[in-house]
Amino acid sequence: MGENGKGGLDTLPESVSSQHRPVAKMGYLQLKLFKRVFNLRTARGFLSVLIFLALWQLVVYVKVPYLQYLPYPRQVAASGMTAVASWQYWADWGLSLERIFVGFIAAQIIGIPLGLAMGISKVFKGFSFPLFEILRPIPPIAWIPLAILFWPTRELSIYFLVFIGAFFIIVINVLQGVSNISVSLKWAASSLGAKPKDIFWRILLPGSLPSIITGMTVGMGVTWNVLIAAEMIAGQGGLGRATWEAYTNGNIPLIVVGMVSIGLAGYLSSTLVRWFGEKAMPWNREV
Amino acid sequence: MTGNGQGRLSSGNFGEVRLDGVTKIYEKDDKRQTVLEDVNFLVERGKLTVLMGPTGCGKTVLINLIAGYEHPTAGSVYLDGAPVTGPGRDRLMVFQETALFPWMTVYSNVTFGCRVQGMADEVIKDKAEVILNKVGLFEFRDKYPTQLSGGMQRRAELARAMINDPKILIMDEPFRGLDAMTRELMQEFYVGLFEEIGRTNLFITHEIDEAIFLADKLFIMTYQPGRIKAEIEVDLPRPREFHMLASSRFMEIRNQALDLLYEEASKAFASGSKAAFDLVGALMASKDKCKRCE
Repeated sequence: MGENGKGGLDTLPESVSSQHRPVAKMGYLQLKLFKRVFNLRTARGFLSVLIFLALWQLVVYVKVPYLQYLPYPRQVAASGMTAVASWQYWADWGLSLERIFVGFIAAQIIGIPLGLAMGISKVFKGFSFPLFEILRPIPPIAWIPLAILFWPTRELSIYFLVFIGAFFIIVINVLQGVSNISVSLKWAASSLGAKPKDIFWRILLPGSLPSIITGMTVGMGVTWNVLIAAEMIAGQGGLGRATWEAYTNGNIPLIVVGMVSIGLAGYLSSTLVRWFGEKAMPWNREV
Repeated sequence: MTGNGQGRLSSGNFGEVRLDGVTKIYEKDDKRQTVLEDVNFLVERGKLTVLMGPTGCGKTVLINLIAGYEHPTAGSVYLDGAPVTGPGRDRLMVFQETALFPWMTVYSNVTFGCRVQGMADEVIKDKAEVILNKVGLFEFRDKYPTQLSGGMQRRAELARAMINDPKILIMDEPFRGLDAMTRELMQEFYVGLFEEIGRTNLFITHEIDEAIFLADKLFIMTYQPGRIKAEIEVDLPRPREFHMLASSRFMEIRNQALDLLYEEASKAFASGSKAAFDLVGALMASKDKCKRCE
């Protein structure tokens, strides 16, 4: 009995400590990271993707009518692996990203000052806003024929279309941002001795930044829509074109690879804009 | 020690504001609305003047005229005898809802006036340290306004005005929206600052207890058009302490002011203003409260 008791005492602390050892070994940060990755939420998300893949597999397997051309997930995966290994695939990525960023950045460079000017000067707004509102409702894709006709190269037409996709959105958001700045902030600044240039740089510009970022985020989504349409119709190279060519070649798995790639590219671009927004507005960060 | 602090917080150059026959009429399309009519009053040098009146009586318009954000339709506003033509650093305002710049830290907010004036960084730093310590926000100087509590935001705003040593400090219902506890603490803090530094202050409120607790002189405004209806000298001793709210002199002044206000509020109520409706309700409640404490 004495031995038993002793044994019990000996084993108990050991079992307790061995249970706690992995956690204790892990640093606090690692534990936090571990908890962030392996929790119920990620498990649910992961499960939903699995269910989707299983349904996909099933749909192809039982040959659901109208969906008989759909490849199996593993065929898409195989096609994706080959694509990723090819030089052409990454060239398409590069080309699409380049078009997006040239058009998008041009839209910001022209659109942000224009929106600010419209927000600050009633006279300028009186001249430009009606025209702006006539052109704004035209969907960017409707510009495709004219864009192809007007610009000397196809590349320029695509830049232009991407530009249109982001331009109207950024202008309208900046305009709204400037007009939403509370008058008491402007009054307070001028009482404190701010001159018009101080009011512009220290009040109006940072004050409209949240709207600028919103305009950029929305605009980034639209530019991908426009780019893919433009590439399919007029482009040479690029993810949209690659997807279209997969269709004309009857390579169905590659179509799906193209679609997934476009989705991923759009997601990455939006993440970049969000990251930029967080950097630019430290005061907006959750605490 | 107090003398030293006083010297650094203010040069003692306090102003006097006089309104002479000020009328303000807004015209939009075919509608004419007389907001202020022939307002004459004096904000005395180094005194804490409180302006009271029902919601919608033009209190805010009146102080916007003093601050120079708007211009009177007739009459003039004078600061130390010189007509006011626009906003200036000699008349600083603490706004009704916070007007701190959300994208600047407490430090940048407080030093905004000094920075746009092109003061040297070391001078600004010294001044900011004194004032931030005074309002108890030195530890919070790198926080953004949204990271502060309501009371801290008001103190930051006070600091932003005081660092510029204005001739007059205008407070537009500054403690509105704070919870009761914070509000009392802020009133105590504010009145303490005033008693220490002694700047010319104009304080707007529609809370009667707050008004009497703070004021040297109390002006009551009429409703539509806004006029000065009455002037009450508040002769409670300073420093003010909360127990004075129970003194018989306080009650006397309070009843006098309540009667005047009640008349105005009923008038506003009869004209169907929603804000006035709320105010009449509030006044009824405070009259009851008064009976209970007697």
